[in-house]
Parts: sequence; structure tokens; C-alpha cells
Amino acid sequence: MPKASSISVLIADDQPSMRSLVRAGLEQIGFADVREARDGEEALRSVVAKPAHLVISDFNMPGLDGIGLLRSIRVHPPIAKTAFIMLTGRADVELLKRAKEFGVNNFVMKPFTVATLKERIEAVFGRLS
Amino acid sequence: MRSAALANRPLAGREPGDRHVSVIQGEFQVTDDPAVVLTTLLGSCVAACIHDPVARVGGLNHFLLPSGEGRPGADHLRYGVHSMELLVNGLLKLGGRRDRLQVWLFGGARITRQLADIGASNAAFAEDFVRREEFTYKGGSLRGDTARRIQFWPASGRVRQLALPNTPVEVLPVAPSRAPAPATDDPEFF
Repeated sequence: MPKASSISVLIADDQPSMRSLVRAGLEQIGFADVREARDGEEALRSVVAKPAHLVISDFNMPGLDGIGLLRSIRVHPPIAKTAFIMLTGRADVELLKRAKEFGVNNFVMKPFTVATLKERIEAVFGRLS
Repeated sequence: MRSAALANRPLAGREPGDRHVSVIQGEFQVTDDPAVVLTTLLGSCVAACIHDPVARVGGLNHFLLPSGEGRPGADHLRYGVHSMELLVNGLLKLGGRRDRLQVWLFGGARITRQLADIGASNAAFAEDFVRREEFTYKGGSLRGDTARRIQFWPASGRVRQLALPNTPVEVLPVAPSRAPAPATDDPEFF
């Protein structure tokens, strides 16, 4: 049973309020090592410089979007196995299919509850303590 | 979630050539059409009118947070954040830029003394959102105890408020019109 506090998370979203909301949810679950990036490029730089166990990324970001970030992580061997959860505002089948092709680990539909966020993370890491 | 419903009753200040589009609770509209006037009727709900003066696009939403304790990160805030995100993303798709967005906020009234002040928490959320997002706050009118009708010309950024004292609007504690589906209804792929 992994400890939430031992899992490092990077949140990538261009909207500060959404980042705050995700961070608050993660902290409520028990995560302590949480950092943020304002877009896909910043997230990629951050995770290359300091790997994270989990990236939670919005799909819709300017420049490098969520799919682009996912793809970039998956082709970069040192971080290729980073768990990746995509935040999305709609159940766009094509988007979800593309994300799956690039190895997304799970999705969270917005608006979401903390319980849903936890459930989706646990589907990737196993039950958290 | 873009409403296409047209207003069906006369509005104060209607001008020739204007096409009034009503935005109801839980919805939003964005457009660059200079003939469109977005209108909404607010009680304890809040509407954000957002405009990009360079791209000449704008939009308006109308949201209500469910009752909550107002603590940061509480689940009830997700409705407001999501509503705002949809509006902002709609503007970006029309050519708007985040660093140019100007915001007016309206609503958040306490319509009845018999209920918790939902309007105040809606207003506080909206102000906090604008601050966090570092948008340019142009003003507006929040709180108070009267309903308001808002008219917003999204392409020009002109906005007008009509106070509607004694208007019976949202006098009941209203759940969000589009409650998020339970987790079990979310798409599950794994």
C-alpha cells in the first residue's frame, strides 16, 4: 500500500485556479510533494530536471497541450514510465483514444470530486495509505 | 454548454439591430458578433463578463456554487472553477488571449434573509478567481440584496446592469443545474 506522502506529483494546467483546486485535493488525500507548471513546456522542463512519480495534466493548454506533454514524456527514456493522468473537460472519444495510444494511465473528467481524483490515482498506484 | 436560447421578452435599453441572447444558470456564451447582446438575470448567482479588447471577443457565464464551507479546495468550488474555465477556453478559441482578458463581475445578492448567504460565497469565489488568474478586473456589482439584469456587448466590452428590486428570483437554495455525474458515471477506460 503506497503512501500518498511518498509520491511526488507535478500538476500541469494553464489555469491557476484549477492548479490550486487539484493541489488542494491532493493535499486533502495526503500528498505532500506537489509542484506545479503553467503549461506543457514548463511541465516537461520540470519533470526532465526533477522526475515526478505522477503527472496530472490538463489536456487543453496553449503550446504543448496535454497530449503533446504525454508524448514527450513517453519518448524520453529517463522519465518515460512516469504515471500520467489527464484532466479533460469532455469525453471526446478521439482525444481519449489518442491519449491511450500514447500511454495515458487514467483520466479525470472535470468538474471532479476529491473522491474521484483519489479513485483515479489509486487505479494507477494501488490503494493509498 | 453554449446556450443558443434567444431572449423572448423585451429588455430595457434594447437597441435596433441588437440580438439578445439569454444565458441561464449553468451555461455560458462566447461570441465575436458585434450585434449580440448577452443577457442574464441574477439573484445569488454570479455572472462573469469577460472581454478581450484586441480580439474583440467576449463572453458571459452564469453560475452558482453549491453550499459549502468556503474552504479552499473544497469540492463545491469545482463548479465555479469549471464554469470559468469553460468560458475562458471559449474565448481563447475565438482568438482571445489570457493576458488581455478584462473581467466584470455581477450578482451574488442575498435575496432572502432566511437562507445562508450563498450569494456572498459566490461573490467571494469569483473575486478570488479573478485575482488568482491575474485577469484585469474592470469592476461590476456584487452582493447587495436585489436581483440584477445584466446586458453585455461581448465584442465591445460594454456592460450594463439593471437593478430589479423585489424580483422573485432564486429564492430557494438551488443545487447546481448541472451537477457532475457520480464517479461511477465517468468514462472508465482502465
